[in-house]
Amino acid sequence: MNHLLRELGNWIDVRVGYSETLLPMLRHPIPRAADGPMGWWYVFGSASLTFLLIQILTGIGLSLVYVPAANEAYESLVYLDYEHPFGWFLRALHYYAGSGMVVMLLAHMTQVFLHGAYKYPRELTWMVGVVLLLCTLGMFFSGQILRWDPDAYWGLAVAGSMAGRVPVIGPWVVHALLGSEIIGAAALSRFFALHVFVIPGALLTFLVLHLWLVLRCGISAPPAADRPVDPATYEAEYHEELRQGVPFLGDAMLRDLFFSAAAVIVVVAIAAVVGPKGPTGPPDPTLGGANPRPEWPFLWLFALLALSPPAAETFIMLVFPVVVIGILFLVPVVSNRGHRAPSRRPVAVLAVIVIYTTLGALTYLGVTAPWSPEMRAWTSAAIPTDVVERSSPLELQGSLVFQYKNCRNCHALEGVGGRRGPDLTTVGTRLTRDQLIDQVSNGTPGGGNMPAYGKQMSPAEMTVLADFLVSLRPSGQPPAKVWSSSPTTRP
Amino acid sequence: MASRHTLNGFVLALGALLAVGCDWPGKPDPGTRQRAAEELTSFVPLYRQHCVGCHGADGQQGPAPPLNDPLFLAIVPDAELERVIRRGRRGTPMPAFGIEAGGELSDAQVTALAQGLKSHWKSDEKLDEPLPSYLPADGDDSTRQPGDRERGATLFAVACAGCHGENGRGGEGSDANNAIHEPAFLALISNQALRRIIITGRSDLGMPSFAGKDGRPDDFSTLTSPQIDDLVALLAHWRDEQGQLANPHTSNVP
Repeated sequence: MNHLLRELGNWIDVRVGYSETLLPMLRHPIPRAADGPMGWWYVFGSASLTFLLIQILTGIGLSLVYVPAANEAYESLVYLDYEHPFGWFLRALHYYAGSGMVVMLLAHMTQVFLHGAYKYPRELTWMVGVVLLLCTLGMFFSGQILRWDPDAYWGLAVAGSMAGRVPVIGPWVVHALLGSEIIGAAALSRFFALHVFVIPGALLTFLVLHLWLVLRCGISAPPAADRPVDPATYEAEYHEELRQGVPFLGDAMLRDLFFSAAAVIVVVAIAAVVGPKGPTGPPDPTLGGANPRPEWPFLWLFALLALSPPAAETFIMLVFPVVVIGILFLVPVVSNRGHRAPSRRPVAVLAVIVIYTTLGALTYLGVTAPWSPEMRAWTSAAIPTDVVERSSPLELQGSLVFQYKNCRNCHALEGVGGRRGPDLTTVGTRLTRDQLIDQVSNGTPGGGNMPAYGKQMSPAEMTVLADFLVSLRPSGQPPAKVWSSSPTTRP
Repeated sequence: MASRHTLNGFVLALGALLAVGCDWPGKPDPGTRQRAAEELTSFVPLYRQHCVGCHGADGQQGPAPPLNDPLFLAIVPDAELERVIRRGRRGTPMPAFGIEAGGELSDAQVTALAQGLKSHWKSDEKLDEPLPSYLPADGDDSTRQPGDRERGATLFAVACAGCHGENGRGGEGSDANNAIHEPAFLALISNQALRRIIITGRSDLGMPSFAGKDGRPDDFSTLTSPQIDDLVALLAHWRDEQGQLANPHTSNVP
């Protein structure tokens, strides 16, 4: 049997020549230093590649059932979730492996950046990598659209509105993206084409280029503080390093395989335990209760846009992404020589910390979305029972007014309710009765966050509401007082 | 050999995992399947979405009158329960939930809520008192007398003043803030809501029912339906005394 297989291999090799092409590629030498414990820094790129393979396989599986038509897409996903054997798992795996791919890409880029591996002669490898990141994010966005639920629908609405702000060619861009001026069947078809043909085609093409560049330029050695990069001498030094190198086909490849396998196990476990994401509801734009959210890689942008003043919106939508992508692209052009070790590049390390802290904080805000009212809180969030138990008849009436005038949609009590305005659990210790009535009647001065409710409340409602709000104090705490600064009366 | 055993165990474990594959926690539960909002007609989620805010998580200890109250559920007519959910209760903060009145709930959902209230919280125990009628018009209309506030005032002194104070101006000590002779309080509660509270009390907040003896003097006797009319007449009179704080649904909202 073995003999037969070897014969077959030889037969193919004579015609294809893989032992002269493919095997040397796999056996290409890598610096010895990258083979020790430091080698674990080099596993993220291949893990992204592994996830891409999972995405292709699960994507093919999903495309066998998914119907990219506006009237059936949602139903076909529901069918996958509830009827088709393991359809739910396929969907979950496709989602979490995609998420894993983004995580691994970010880890890979961060490692390459921190180790200065993008410097001479690997500048182009980095730039192509940036394109691959953009392709992956494009896959994430277009994949979300295919879910064809309210998140997808409103995600498209936001994308369309953003594209529409592009000067001069805006309407044309919108039409190209949506296939129409409105969101409908054509838009779904276009995003299906993007997700299944256009972006994957680009992704695979650039991936081949990326891998070729990796082979061509070689794996960079781990950075050493005493060996800065000088393009004039780098090639010679690197060749010297490779002379004592080890073949990739060995421990290095095993390390990659081990890490990829571990990452896949984690993703499979998450998919099996957490299950598929969505679809959240039918894509009916008339449903009032929809609370759309972008996918997690875009939550930071969602937060940034929500928290920025309206005047900055167009800048953040159109200029900011160009600037960010431009900076990413130009990183190796700006610094393609000099030190690689993080210990000698404090600004680079600081930049990574600042960027991830900012992205993390914005993503957290995007998850909690404290700027959106909670539209169902007034009927679904109970008044805390300890408040009810200590309330007088008037204060009970006040808490009813608090609920049915929708105060709760923006103001939490004991942490439950909207978060757009402050939590009012102890507001009675902060504002006096007069201040409360003024705030409710007139809202935030200068057209701020809180609308004026003066004309929407009867005197009775205002009275009991003020009673209720003043009563919102921890037991034993006196109501807030005003300390007047008026001049003392003279005798 | 040990490694062979380990391997066998691993394969067995993997097989077991695959066998129970259908019960993996990530598998979507058909019960949580997304539906169009108006297709939801089971009581518990409807109650959680639309009623908890005012009537409390378990139908008790909310600011609005408790719905998880066997006495209330024993006397309220089904049609009235449905009507109030659908159209709201005029003169109180209870809004209309029926689609035709500007709310969100379909006819089937309103019915599911009304029936669910009774099937979930109505007690099977027989309440032995002769129960007053929920609606005042529920008797023989021809012989029925309207409530009399003079008689109501006498009754109030016996049945209510212990906690609500003389003339409803607030009691003493810990009852000091129990005043109900308050323009704002009365402006936001209808006669029917007053009648209901007098009948059922608020068992969740310690207010006795029409028959409860707790905290009431020895000469108190169970309130009759006409006596409840009298008490409501008294409170309505207190409300009418103050013109400027009108009913929220008819007041200065244009």
